[in-house]
Amino acid sequence: MVAGFESRPLKAAIWLMTAIGLAIIYLPPLYLVAVSFNPALQPALPPLSDISLTWYFALAKERTLISALQESLLVATITALVATGLALLSALAYMDLGKWRSRWFMFVLLPMFVPGIIQGLSLSVIFGRIGLKPFWGTVAASHLLWALPFAFTVILTSMAAVRRSYLLAASDLGASWWRQLVDVTLPLIKPGLVAAFIFSFLLSLNEFGRAFYLVGRQNTLPLAMFGKMNSGASPTIYALSGSIFLASILAVSFVLLAAQAKDRKLHR
Amino acid sequence: MKSPGLLLALPTALIVLLLGFVPLIVILVWSFWTWDPATYWIRPEFSLAGYEAILEAGRWSVIVGSLGKAFLTAAICVVIGYPAAMAVHFLASRRTALLLMALFTIPFFTSYMIRAFSWRLVLGRNGLINGWLMDLGIVDQPLDWLLFSNFAVNVGLVASYLPFVIFPLILSMQRVEPSLLAASQDLGAGFWRTFRSVLLPLTQAGIFAGFLFVFVMAAGSATEVQMLGGAAASMISVMINDVMRVVNFPLAFAISTLVLIILFGLIFIGNRLFKLTSLFEGFTW
Repeated sequence: MVAGFESRPLKAAIWLMTAIGLAIIYLPPLYLVAVSFNPALQPALPPLSDISLTWYFALAKERTLISALQESLLVATITALVATGLALLSALAYMDLGKWRSRWFMFVLLPMFVPGIIQGLSLSVIFGRIGLKPFWGTVAASHLLWALPFAFTVILTSMAAVRRSYLLAASDLGASWWRQLVDVTLPLIKPGLVAAFIFSFLLSLNEFGRAFYLVGRQNTLPLAMFGKMNSGASPTIYALSGSIFLASILAVSFVLLAAQAKDRKLHR
Repeated sequence: MKSPGLLLALPTALIVLLLGFVPLIVILVWSFWTWDPATYWIRPEFSLAGYEAILEAGRWSVIVGSLGKAFLTAAICVVIGYPAAMAVHFLASRRTALLLMALFTIPFFTSYMIRAFSWRLVLGRNGLINGWLMDLGIVDQPLDWLLFSNFAVNVGLVASYLPFVIFPLILSMQRVEPSLLAASQDLGAGFWRTFRSVLLPLTQAGIFAGFLFVFVMAAGSATEVQMLGGAAASMISVMINDVMRVVNFPLAFAISTLVLIILFGLIFIGNRLFKLTSLFEGFTW
């Protein structure tokens, strides 16, 4: 406990604000998840006796949404693979860059701050001019720019596990740069690589603005869902939104729990 | 230690330049070209028509309005996020701190669209809040202004981008030497005095970084307005979509250029003034 925080009302106020912050982030989507189990058409909390998976079963018949989901899974897999690979290289480069580090960090991070619509539009006119027809690859190109900063940050954080002394020891024992990478660095940052892959996958799966100008004939899932949400939302959209939201939460929780378990092992 | 050094940076540098920055620079150049009705494209003749059109049809007020909404969102996020970061760093046990950080990390990787959409169920005429207000007898009629209004957009924006403010704040608090706070207290300063004269000045880089992140994300957002805004509500990104619907390339490029200059200008000035990148240097070795 740090000095200055003994007052009870003060502590209560700080916790209250924290609770408000968490509530505005989580309550609405969790309410939506609850509503999705209500078989009635009118959105409301289902009475416990009425909980049903009606709308989840109805999802199986939504052809457009299913093919959009397949497209999104493809784009997300490609995006995650490329983003993780590039992020690893960028993080290794960061280690070697000395006083250029913070500039390199900014450079890789900057695309994250470009509004999605503008990034998508600029890419689509360029692709159009060079005669590249929109397809899953053009969408993945834009998603890459969105996912890379996160993947880079995650891998960079995991690099903290690689002590300089380990590499010096390996080097003294005659390990080449490549051997050091494969036998020392990569095993130590494996959780970071897995996290970067999963996070990039989710960022791509849930991305909406960038894909808008870059999809070909086949919509990505968020674009297809956007259409459904604004055309007299059928409750199936609650079921789909709810499942995507829960799946995202589970995937991130898995990553974070794995990281903590590893942390505890290290500190024991 | 021999290492491929710069070679490692090359693939990322090329991708970020070619896919990220070159298209934006091309758009900047093309925003000064002339619209050619014959080809539905532009031709390389200097023209300011795109920029002049920004001043027409209320477009300027959409830009100012978007920046205003982004400012308000960022300010609210700092007000909620600062105590939340204090809870994580100063009050919580190690376990609780990890849990809170996890809870603030998860939303980055969930869908902004689904989260904005879910506010419709909360704020709508038959929504959660109107239900509570009517049950408690506070209102007889459901409130209409809760949804499809500026209020709803601002609530949605705060909910979407709040996590962006938390982490810069926690990072900046981690750099505050605890003995400084203790010293301030030993010299007789109460909490507020210590807060104002020690904690706040020492965490200003975190406050500014957090504010800036939220501001930039909110200024470029589209989903929250599309899901929660009223019929006439617009935002820079939505306006660009509208302009592109009538294939007015020079105008769309001009708006994009202007917005990018504003946002990137803020990031660079912020970085100069507050050394934002130094916040993240605790990462490694």
